[in-house]
Amino acid sequence: MDYSILLAQAALNGLVIGAMYMLMAVGFTLVFGIMRVVNFAHGEFYMLGAFTAFFTYVYWEMPFVVCLVIAAVTVGILGMLIERTLIQPFRSDEMSGMIATLAISVIIQNGAVLLWGPSPRAMPDIVTGTLAIGPFSFPWSRLVVIVAAALIFVAFWLFMQRTRLGRAMRAVAQDTETALLQGIRVNYIYPLAFGLSVALAALAGALMGPVFSVSPFVGLTPMLKAFVVVILGGLGSVPGAVVGGLLLGMIESFTATIFGSLVSDVLQLLLVILILLVRPAGLLGQREA
Amino acid sequence: MEGSSSAIGRDGPAPAARNRMLRRAAIAVLLAVALVLPQLTANQFYIHLANLMLLNSIFAVSLGLIAAVGQISLGHAAFIAAGAYVSALAALTFKIPPILGIVLAGFTTGLAAALLGKILLRLRGVYFVLVTFLAGQVFTLIALNWESVTHGANGLLGIPAISLFGFPLSTRLRFYYFALAAFIIVLTFVWALMRSQYGRAFRSIAENVRLAESSGIDVSHYQVIAFALGSGIAGAAGATMVHYIRFLSPDSFTFNDSIAYITMLVVGGRQTMLGGVLGALFLTPLPELLRGLVGAQHIVYGAILLAVLLFLPNGLVSIGRSLFRKTSGAEAPK
Repeated sequence: MDYSILLAQAALNGLVIGAMYMLMAVGFTLVFGIMRVVNFAHGEFYMLGAFTAFFTYVYWEMPFVVCLVIAAVTVGILGMLIERTLIQPFRSDEMSGMIATLAISVIIQNGAVLLWGPSPRAMPDIVTGTLAIGPFSFPWSRLVVIVAAALIFVAFWLFMQRTRLGRAMRAVAQDTETALLQGIRVNYIYPLAFGLSVALAALAGALMGPVFSVSPFVGLTPMLKAFVVVILGGLGSVPGAVVGGLLLGMIESFTATIFGSLVSDVLQLLLVILILLVRPAGLLGQREA
Repeated sequence: MEGSSSAIGRDGPAPAARNRMLRRAAIAVLLAVALVLPQLTANQFYIHLANLMLLNSIFAVSLGLIAAVGQISLGHAAFIAAGAYVSALAALTFKIPPILGIVLAGFTTGLAAALLGKILLRLRGVYFVLVTFLAGQVFTLIALNWESVTHGANGLLGIPAISLFGFPLSTRLRFYYFALAAFIIVLTFVWALMRSQYGRAFRSIAENVRLAESSGIDVSHYQVIAFALGSGIAGAAGATMVHYIRFLSPDSFTFNDSIAYITMLVVGGRQTMLGGVLGALFLTPLPELLRGLVGAQHIVYGAILLAVLLFLPNGLVSIGRSLFRKTSGAEAPK
């Protein structure tokens, strides 16, 4: 076996899962930064996004871009409703808010089991064929995920930097009370930010549907990795989530190729503990006051 | 418990003494009922449920001990599983009697938690929760993949029952009395602990970490103690359970169980020791009513957890407490 091909393969896989981790972690860290809520249901919105894409793409045979939009919008609206009714009451109590998201996660996951059954479903690739560069060949189905994730993130970044709403969200993340004094309606920002966050998770799920399979339990691993990423990058830091996500994808892909996936997972935990001990605020995070 | 007794204490010594008498009488009655009740039914399933209720109570109370210093562990099931594996493997490979295995399991998991806690308890709040969650996942992974020891997903079969002085606790009824004794020992221990200087330190940390720290309380030290004791008790109880169920696989105690223990604790009431007991007694039999629908029982658990968080933040204990206040006529402080 040619090592350069193996390594190129690992790098591509690392980019694909890294892109997914990035989308998951960006949303997760956004909600933490703005609302101080650790969302244990984040993975379930990924799962809902994957199912939405599955049904719209496989059963209704819509173009995949439309499927992505439908997944983001429906899951985003659901997220807003959930934030408004079930998470906002715990604004002053981080711990209870977190336990509430655990309950929401259990309800969504088992609701999906009741509705759609526990067995995984395979989803066909969106595109076929490979891209050949010299001795390397990369399947388009993987490259599409990377490009789409990058485009989604750029759109998100522009929204956060260039629009009034994005600025308002960043202001609330920095200092809720001062933001309130500037006339920002925090009560509208919270559900919007939560909706945006879970819409990103849904997009990640929809994109990964064809790569992995779709089942009610697919949300757990991405959520776990999102936790690892935000600890690596710093809770609440969006750039940290991007760097951490891509970094973790690469680390995971290479260590799994060389040592197997068990060692890779254990190594990741050790890395997290090490980071927390040496630099508790994460690689790009800011120390909490 | 503490709150109501101090509230009544303000009215003078006579009601306090009466109250103490009442409480002792209540405990005696409850104990008598617990001793006699299983003799009245021949239905093995009810006795099995009672056993699970006692074990779940211990799990929830031990989690409550960790919560008493303001930390929530999402890896509680991993410590229970660790204790179960220690005792099961000790019995299967070294023929160590289960009763010793349970003690061994308690010490090893407690020690492991103390070492882990030394590192992890530098983290506060959500960071600690996230890391305990990750640690629990890694434990399950290791248990699944270390097949030469744990037999992977196939699990360990033929784990012996507990045997006391050559008398095997192989029936559900016999195990019930053992579990009841364990339950009483744990409850008494935690009760005594919470009344000691440790309990006072725990409460002040839970109330306000920074204030406790600036009053000269070594917060990390007490948090490590609470974490080690809570996890050690959980490990010993897990070992007890494995000699009752007599089968152990990586699926026996998972993240979902960790959530279930948190649910019990929160539904019963996070603030007091009795909360975990009440939550376990209420929630353990519940899934049996919903056996037909796969997944429905989890949904009901989740819904109850949400409802309690929203409408009854201090848990079921607070209902009992407000009733008790009304009948005894004492005013609540604050």
